[in-house]
Amino acid sequence: MGYTSDLIRYIYFILQKQTDKLLTIHMINHHKCEVMSLRGKWKLLMVGLFVLSLLVAGCAQQEQKPEATPTPEKKAPEEKPEKKAETLYFGAPISLTGKYSKEGQMSLWGMQVAAKWINDVYGGLKVGDKVYKVEIKYYDDQSNKEVVQSMIERLAVQDGVKFILAPYSSGLTLAAAPIAEKYGVLMNSHGGASDYIFEQGYYYVVQTLSPASKYQTGFLDMIKKVDPDAKRVAMIYKDTEFSRAVFNAAREYAEANGFEVVFDKTYPKDVQDLSPILNELKAANPDIIIGGGHFADGQLLTQQLAELKINVKAISILVAPALPKYYDALGTKAEGICAPAQWEVGVTYGPEAAKKLGMDYFGPTQDEFLVLFKEISGSDEKPSYHAAEGAAAVLSYAYAIEKAQSLDPEKVREAMNDIEFMTLYGVWKIDPETGKQIGHEMVIIQWQGGTKKIIWPEAAANADPYYPIPTWEEKDQGKLAKH
Amino acid sequence: MIVSEQLVSNLFYGALLGSVYGVATMGLSLIFGVLRIVNVGHGAFIMLGAFTAFWMFTLYSVIPILSIPIALIFGLALGFIIFFSTIKRLIDAPELSTLLATFAIGIFIEEVAKFVWGSDYVGFSWDIGTLYLGPVTVPYTKLLAFLCSAIIAGLLYVWFTKTKLGTAIRAVVEDREGAMVCGINVGRIYSVSFAIGIGLTVLSGVLVTLFVPVGINVYMGPDYTLKAFVIAVLGGLGSPWGAFIAGFLFGLFENGSYTLLGLIPGVEPFALTRFVAFVFLLIILLIKPTGLLGGE
Repeated sequence: MGYTSDLIRYIYFILQKQTDKLLTIHMINHHKCEVMSLRGKWKLLMVGLFVLSLLVAGCAQQEQKPEATPTPEKKAPEEKPEKKAETLYFGAPISLTGKYSKEGQMSLWGMQVAAKWINDVYGGLKVGDKVYKVEIKYYDDQSNKEVVQSMIERLAVQDGVKFILAPYSSGLTLAAAPIAEKYGVLMNSHGGASDYIFEQGYYYVVQTLSPASKYQTGFLDMIKKVDPDAKRVAMIYKDTEFSRAVFNAAREYAEANGFEVVFDKTYPKDVQDLSPILNELKAANPDIIIGGGHFADGQLLTQQLAELKINVKAISILVAPALPKYYDALGTKAEGICAPAQWEVGVTYGPEAAKKLGMDYFGPTQDEFLVLFKEISGSDEKPSYHAAEGAAAVLSYAYAIEKAQSLDPEKVREAMNDIEFMTLYGVWKIDPETGKQIGHEMVIIQWQGGTKKIIWPEAAANADPYYPIPTWEEKDQGKLAKH
Repeated sequence: MIVSEQLVSNLFYGALLGSVYGVATMGLSLIFGVLRIVNVGHGAFIMLGAFTAFWMFTLYSVIPILSIPIALIFGLALGFIIFFSTIKRLIDAPELSTLLATFAIGIFIEEVAKFVWGSDYVGFSWDIGTLYLGPVTVPYTKLLAFLCSAIIAGLLYVWFTKTKLGTAIRAVVEDREGAMVCGINVGRIYSVSFAIGIGLTVLSGVLVTLFVPVGINVYMGPDYTLKAFVIAVLGGLGSPWGAFIAGFLFGLFENGSYTLLGLIPGVEPFALTRFVAFVFLLIILLIKPTGLLGGE
């Protein structure tokens, strides 16, 4: 909206200038007066229409927000007098525009689902003799580091929010962390996986999702189990903080587990053609490829591996294959491609699994979550892991606040050191010193016959790994990675 | 042996990619040449072209080649609308005004596109086989992208040199007032060139999807905007065919330098290819400050 309002102001300025000009012309050309004013009116009308269309677009975007959260906003004031519930705000910079808008929207929906569950099903947070309703107070951070920093400041200072849900991505979380630390507000990372964030000595920053260092290690474990002879690993990944963290850890893990890293190179962010690096990779003759970064480059990587007919036994790509659009975009080329995922619809976390591990289960079950998610998002789109991460972060705050029986960030942070519980997203337990997540496990998904199957870890799997994957030539002829 | 094979393959791909870069820059160059307006929202129009190809393919199974004229018509119409609603009033405005306006238009288009299409990364699979040519393995779609780019650049060249309107546009590029004195309707030339510039840019979006049919997203534009600026400067601002040649060279340098940089141990060659491409730009500008085909 910032840009739009600037633009409108700007257009008004032009409009005024034009009107002035018009008046001058009137005075000079008396005989042309009629014609000019007509043309002027027409111009004004055009500009007016343009401004109007901008306003409509702007309003439509603003209106969309209350639509996305119909129930909590309506219900909160209604129920206030009965239960004397106060509202507790969890603040969140959300990437609603810019490059992380997709993930941002998903995580917001997840948070809103968790808040709705806490308010409507759980009955609010009980701290002392008070009951608190939870609401997510969010601003669009435009996927921009500078904006994120000012948003955190605004949430902490102006809005007086004590519990912040970090922005999406490691880069943005890293930018937000020092600001949260400065104001002594808790910040829960649900989309910033980089280990580096938690090696800076921040006390108020905790993590809900698995750190980057664990992203590709599960896949290597799986390969080791399925085919002990596959030793040659190629790593090809995007040159970003997140991917570097993932692959630095993967390299160490691979070498410690008897793999040989035969290729290890990065590609830049805005790449349109990966063929040079892939030609070089082909010459290294690897058994397996691990790589990727985000959505666009993950799709591009798969596409060009197919174009250059680089055949290996297994491929694991970060982020991109975990979303359904990946298969839509690539079709059968996506067959057999694996990806690490923080969470997938179909994982077996629930009250029973928690009982087996001897811990509490808190929050909606997966089925409840799916129903609430559909209601909040207003679409048939299934929740991605970003939604579950967002929900888990909200739930972990709620659980810790009730354990601490306090709204003081420091006391809640202290309580977090001792809690270990399960949500639909998995186990939540942090390393007391760094705040890094150590309870949660990554799952590995594989595209098998057009559906995403969970193949690892064995305890959570709903299918066997398909190994080795069909070659590109076989895929062209319609072979699927299906048992 | 392997190195030389890689070099051949990289140069081949670089040439194909470069031709797409070239067409993707011609619109920017044309608009600057005629109207002296830098279209900062350039990438948004490329994105529109990419989505045109995507939707035509997914909804109506129209192959991307046939989407090229559709995108051109769509772009021309859009160009006229934007020209008469905004750009027309900015022709003699200070540079900052035009920069802001085109920037805003770009954001406006992106956000409306996101509102309508969502922010998914989409793509399509149009497989027409692969050419195996010695060390080069290349899908026919990429060759088609090259072929179409070359034909479009050629047609534009012919149009500029052989037709009356084309000549008039060149006259306005060279000397606005002189053209006016000769009885050229400069206002009309402005609107036509702007529309053609936008039309070409939207069309180039289709070529982009021929080259990379995946990762199509409403925010894909800015990556292309940046490259288009570099290529436009390299080719000589205001010279569309200069832009095409520059794009071609840029692609060759970007991909070709990879092989050579890869020979140096301990470096990340891909990160350095940009560096090399920009050094190349610097050298060209040192020798010829107006760009490859730029005038005085």
